[in-house]
Amino acid sequence: MDALSLAAWSFPALLLLIILRVPIGLSMLTLGLVGSWLVYGSVAPLLNQMKTLAYGTFSSHSLSIVPLFLLMGQFASLGGMSQALFKAGEALIGHRKGGVGMAAIGACAGFGSICGSSLATAATMGQVALPELRKVGYDGGLASGLLAAGGTLGILIPPSIVLVIYAILAEQNIAKLFAAAFVPGILAALGYMLVIGIVVRLYPQWGGRQIAPLPWSERIRAQRDVWPVVVIFVTVIGGIYTGIFTPTEGAAVGAVATGLLAWWKGGLNREKLLRAFEATASGTGMVFMIVLGAAAYNTFLALSQLPQELATWVGGLGLSPYAVLWAIIVFYLIFGCVMDSLSMILLTIPIFFPMVSGLDFGLPPEEMAIWFGILVLIVVEVGLITPPVGMNLFVIQSMAPDIPIRSTYRGVLPFVASDLLRVGLLVAFPSITLFVLRL
Amino acid sequence: MSNFIYGTSRFLAWFGALVLTLLAVMSVFSIAGRAFSFAGFGPVPGDFELVEAGTALAVFCFLPWCHLKRAHADVAMLWHAYPPAMRRLILVLVEALMLAVWCLLVWRMGVAMLEYRANGEVSFILQMPVWWGYAASFVPGALGCLVYAWRLIETIGLVKPREGFTAAEGAH
Repeated sequence: MDALSLAAWSFPALLLLIILRVPIGLSMLTLGLVGSWLVYGSVAPLLNQMKTLAYGTFSSHSLSIVPLFLLMGQFASLGGMSQALFKAGEALIGHRKGGVGMAAIGACAGFGSICGSSLATAATMGQVALPELRKVGYDGGLASGLLAAGGTLGILIPPSIVLVIYAILAEQNIAKLFAAAFVPGILAALGYMLVIGIVVRLYPQWGGRQIAPLPWSERIRAQRDVWPVVVIFVTVIGGIYTGIFTPTEGAAVGAVATGLLAWWKGGLNREKLLRAFEATASGTGMVFMIVLGAAAYNTFLALSQLPQELATWVGGLGLSPYAVLWAIIVFYLIFGCVMDSLSMILLTIPIFFPMVSGLDFGLPPEEMAIWFGILVLIVVEVGLITPPVGMNLFVIQSMAPDIPIRSTYRGVLPFVASDLLRVGLLVAFPSITLFVLRL
Repeated sequence: MSNFIYGTSRFLAWFGALVLTLLAVMSVFSIAGRAFSFAGFGPVPGDFELVEAGTALAVFCFLPWCHLKRAHADVAMLWHAYPPAMRRLILVLVEALMLAVWCLLVWRMGVAMLEYRANGEVSFILQMPVWWGYAASFVPGALGCLVYAWRLIETIGLVKPREGFTAAEGAH
């Protein structure tokens, strides 16, 4: 078998392993090593390549952002900011129709601005907001659906681990990607709030009681408690964007700042610190196992020349660039229902990015790469809230086992619809994403 | 033995996170030093190299814990549709595969370490021997082989797995 057909056959083999529940990273790693061995035709070059595979992949300056952001997210959870953010939102709009739910979304967005991880945001905000939503009488499905959707803001609003990985794979500027993600992230939050407003008007019994409006003095006081979030966000993202420090250094600043915040707020006793360390360890281990697998697998694909051949082939089909883009988006949406977001990005960007780069969307190459990155970020994040396998749904579900999973599935659907609408909007109007960079 | 495996993995996870925290603090000092360069301060020399070697060390320390916590990403969509015998077989094969691949990688890493020691290659700024980074990561890497072997023994059913380490968790 020639190298190209080996690579082509490795896709169904990979899917089979994944469906058999072999961990995704291990599946890619195994197929990558076996595939390279077959392409080389002997074992010596493979053994040579393996000498630096693990250490070389892990000792990456840009990838060190990932564990630092995970650590930052853990510290942010311990800093009590989730409570303060939710209270601030509730004080401001809690008395409106659907206001408590909207406050929860706003708090997720705020938390997402100091946390680069979707699951950490869903878990942290879920713990704070789910009991409150149910206390005021929200329908269980709506409450869990909105928090699962709100959790995705953790990664849509910078900092974002998925964007870091995309930036490395597509060799793009992390600072610019973060800046470009900002407006779509805010749009996501507004879209979710709009969904809540519509749902509670259609089904008034789902929205629970309205709480009494607070006097303005108290509303303003509640806003003051969230200043550390603002300071940390402006320092980290501002510092990265203006180039005062590199993205890796920015992540380090964020981790230290949230660590100090957690310590100052009294959330950092020895027990909690060690639990935060352990969660950072398992989260980082998970990401880097996938990264290692993808490194091996992508080396094999590159050896086989498949990505280039595929890009040339697609370019030669004479399809409209938008047809290719939509095909990719639909691909991500379908696979997102069962696959993990990072694995999808690591597996597909080395194939899709050269393909898309060869197409003419009327944008300069760098803007195209950034726009495509933000679109990919959004569609893979939809995978976190689409049944049957949406990690955020499970995170929220585990906190409220009494809510039937079917209600959660039903509750999250309007938010998925809002995501799809936003993708359409961002495809149709690239300048929504890009205007920040053109300022 | 079980205590040793779980205790070591937990300790490695803590140690790795501590390394990571120290890297973060060092980066902050480095930025501060750069900002006050007019006053005669400067960035921490070789901070880039230290972050690279430190991140690798931290990741090697994290992997055994991640594996014990079953935190690796997988797709369990059809899992409950498989017959119990098939599920057990898959679990054993996955553990065996993990052990085999990891031992292979750690063996090759050890070979690279010896080669770097022999050729005396050093890093650019700190002139730190490259093999030091490999050696530091080799220790948790080799311990990882033990942990994966233990998990295989558990999965075959020779020893009982620990409570609290049977359900999946993860983060990203």
